Amino acid sequence: MFKHIFSGMLLTLVLASPVFAGSAADDIQIIDPWAREVPPGLTTSAGFLGMKNTGDKAHRLVAAESSNTGMVELHTHINDNGVMRMRPVEDIPVAAGATTTLQPGGLHLMLMMIKKPLKAGEKMPITLIFEDGSKKDIEAEVRHFSMEKMNRMKMGH
Amino acid sequence: MKRLAWPLLVFFIYAAGAHAWSLFSSGKEERYPGMGGDFTLRSAGGDVSLKDFRGKVVLLYFGYTSCPDVCPTSLGALSAALKKLSPDEMAQIQPLFISVDPARDNAKRLQEYSHYFHPKMIGATADLDYLKALAKRYGAYFRKVEVENSSLGYAIDHSSTIYVVDKDGTLTDMIQHSGSTKRILNHIRAVLTEAP
Repeated sequence: MFKHIFSGMLLTLVLASPVFAGSAADDIQIIDPWAREVPPGLTTSAGFLGMKNTGDKAHRLVAAESSNTGMVELHTHINDNGVMRMRPVEDIPVAAGATTTLQPGGLHLMLMMIKKPLKAGEKMPITLIFEDGSKKDIEAEVRHFSMEKMNRMKMGH
Repeated sequence: MKRLAWPLLVFFIYAAGAHAWSLFSSGKEERYPGMGGDFTLRSAGGDVSLKDFRGKVVLLYFGYTSCPDVCPTSLGALSAALKKLSPDEMAQIQPLFISVDPARDNAKRLQEYSHYFHPKMIGATADLDYLKALAKRYGAYFRKVEVENSSLGYAIDHSSTIYVVDKDGTLTDMIQHSGSTKRILNHIRAVLTEAP
């Protein structure tokens, strides 16, 4: 009898755990991931996406990797009186309930030593790694510069 | 950073003043007196000089091909703006990409890179000392920086501005870093209208 109660409690705990102790990967919702097509001869590009934290705990993106690159780094740009300075960052925070956006001119995934050239329309597999070690596999759509949102928006006036 | 901020501030005040002056003065005044001027660079098609393009509006951009975000964003927006020009307008334009990374950007790579953004864009470079003096004359800034904790090796901090040189070879406008196609287009059209 006690055994039953105990296993019942255990079962409840197991079932309920995703709600109470969601991993970062569970909490973070990915919005519109994309990577920039690379001009010929280049092996460096940048990836962009939005991260929406649906949980009630702050999270941090601490690393990323891709089977199609030798290395992915987290970078940002600082616009210092018109001079653009690119620097690596240790992590990218996403506050509870908030959205952090990686976009041109700011935070980005620096895709380095790209093995297979990025062609517009293709998908680039990327794995995001969060502060608790949880991982999220995403597919970034490769876009030509003419397909970028910013250009599209400006053209659609 | 502090060291850089002052000269830049002085420069911006100066540029703003020069711009304001040009609005009130009649006739053709130099908007950036003492700035700009001729140069010769090397490209896959041989030497290119600013003098070769008298009669055309030349659009200059200083950058480097390993630049993963700022350069493609600016050049992408520039390219989109150029595609909105009529063939007649485009015939009066010469875009020129100047690499400030001669160690990594050879002529062939520059040509491929420039053509990717626009078939008419020429990619060119020179020796570092020459580039430094040239950038200074145009008010551009670049500096190689070792990027710690990065396998990038080095990056180049640089100003992201499109310099507009009129048909007489005079620096006439500066379009500050922008991913806005419309803004770039407005600037280009203004220069084309000024000097038909």
